[in-house]
Amino acid sequence: MAEKKLSKKALSSGFHRWYYGNLTCFSQEHMQTFGYLCSMLPLCKELYADDPDRMAESMDTYRTFFNTEPQLGAIIVGVTAGLEEARANGAEDVDSETINGLRAGLMGPIAGIGDSLVVGTVIPILLGIAMGMSGGGSPAGAIFYIIVWNLFAYFGMRFLYFKGYDMGTKAVEFLVGDIGTAIREAVTTLGGIVIGAVSATWVSVKTSFALYNEAGEAYMVLQEKLDSVFPGLLTAIFVIFCWWLMAKKRFSPLKVMGLLVVIAFVGVLVGFFNPGLSY
Amino acid sequence: MSINLFQAIILGLFASLSSMPGLGGTSIGNYTLGRPLIGGLICGIVLGDIPTGIMVGAAMQVVYIALVTPGGTVSADVRAVSYIGIPLAMIALKSYGLDPASAEGTALATSFGTMVGTIGTVLFYGTATMNLVWQHMGWAWVDKREYDKLPLVDYVLPWISHICFSLIPTVIMCMAGEPVVNLIKEKLPMDGIPMKTLFTVGIPMKTLFTVGALLPCVGIAILLKQIVRNVLDFVPYLTGFTLAASMGVNLVASTVIAGMFAILIYKLKMLELRKPAAAASSAAAENGWDDDEEDI
Repeated sequence: MAEKKLSKKALSSGFHRWYYGNLTCFSQEHMQTFGYLCSMLPLCKELYADDPDRMAESMDTYRTFFNTEPQLGAIIVGVTAGLEEARANGAEDVDSETINGLRAGLMGPIAGIGDSLVVGTVIPILLGIAMGMSGGGSPAGAIFYIIVWNLFAYFGMRFLYFKGYDMGTKAVEFLVGDIGTAIREAVTTLGGIVIGAVSATWVSVKTSFALYNEAGEAYMVLQEKLDSVFPGLLTAIFVIFCWWLMAKKRFSPLKVMGLLVVIAFVGVLVGFFNPGLSY
Repeated sequence: MSINLFQAIILGLFASLSSMPGLGGTSIGNYTLGRPLIGGLICGIVLGDIPTGIMVGAAMQVVYIALVTPGGTVSADVRAVSYIGIPLAMIALKSYGLDPASAEGTALATSFGTMVGTIGTVLFYGTATMNLVWQHMGWAWVDKREYDKLPLVDYVLPWISHICFSLIPTVIMCMAGEPVVNLIKEKLPMDGIPMKTLFTVGIPMKTLFTVGALLPCVGIAILLKQIVRNVLDFVPYLTGFTLAASMGVNLVASTVIAGMFAILIYKLKMLELRKPAAAASSAAAENGWDDDEEDI
């Protein structure tokens, strides 16, 4: 029997189906399972064109629940494409159980890395730059983001998918290994700095609290005092306060928003906040 | 400024594409079209006022900068923020005659858009629940080995969920929102209020604007939750803050400086990690990724 080799066309089709369809039919119960099935379909069809029973066995493998960070997760789909090819060629150590064990073992760590790297760092950095280019309502920033993010996502995912297919689980070691760790730390710092700049530029929490002397002149303007300590101090305090509520007190974002409404209301009543409206 | 039925349907289509389990896919849909900044551009084009759209979108973007991850929990769903919240916020700004670039304009847009955006959660669960029906059909087809019907389940049938939970709600809210915005403006005008009503009307309005200024803190904090593990991790954040607030460095320039730090950290980390390996074999330590490839 001739060695079966997946054609470039089938692999490419498998990749594009994952790239587009990883979450199009989402439900809380199955999440990315159907996206995965659709991505494996062209591959299994090519490998088992003449054997409906093995085709069914193989497709059944991917009925198991799957959910991870979809961009980085392309590597897992690529790895299973390689494994499926090995199974079609009669590799004895590859069966449904090993494939699903691998998928279940990888989807957690990849989701963790992906969420903090892609969603928590790369996207906010790009958005931060884009917002910097949006001054005066210019569309340049939005266009910049559309182009850069999509090129990055498409070619990044493509690279990961084919690396996964070529190198198998070794490819994953790149992500969790030394270089991966070093890149992650560097990018996280980059993200932290950019987010700091974004919050100083776009968020502005100001107090109107002031003490007046008998002649009606303000002799203590709290906002100026705070800014002389650290410009934007009040904004930074509010951000860290929100972080503390969510990270340490386990508040949900909606709960924090609710609390901010209360703080705003009380603040306005006591004169701490007054968004200089012209009445 | 007003929204006609045709414009509302276009916004509804974009809402369908951009939701979290959206039909534009995650990269193009959720992470591109769903971002409020991009939503602002689209809404600006559709409603014929790009600068206002961008300014409102950018203001909203701060609140949702770290939003929702498929692996994480849903705090809000972008379709309602970007394609219901932004157009209505634009109408509100026009109606009040506020400059979208001013602090008050940003605050009003933020609190307005975020308020409307909270209904996104309802739309999210609606779509996800309806998708269960298609998935149920999908399993039946898999059992019967009719695999060619799988793409139908993944790419086509979810449109029905989105027509019900993205398109129609967007059209209704955009169309119905305009009179509501005008009603609010009539009841809570910003100027020309007789002194006696100043207190009753002034407090809610001021609160609304203050909340608008406070809300972006939540967005930034969600992001910090991802990257801050111990107190030291606040230092990069505060460095960026200092660059912009104290030194007046703009965002693009801040990114360049941040990139410099990132390179330093990468090199240091590699040095630290490679030390033990270097002792074992210095040659292999030089270019790890390439070597790994040859090992196979």
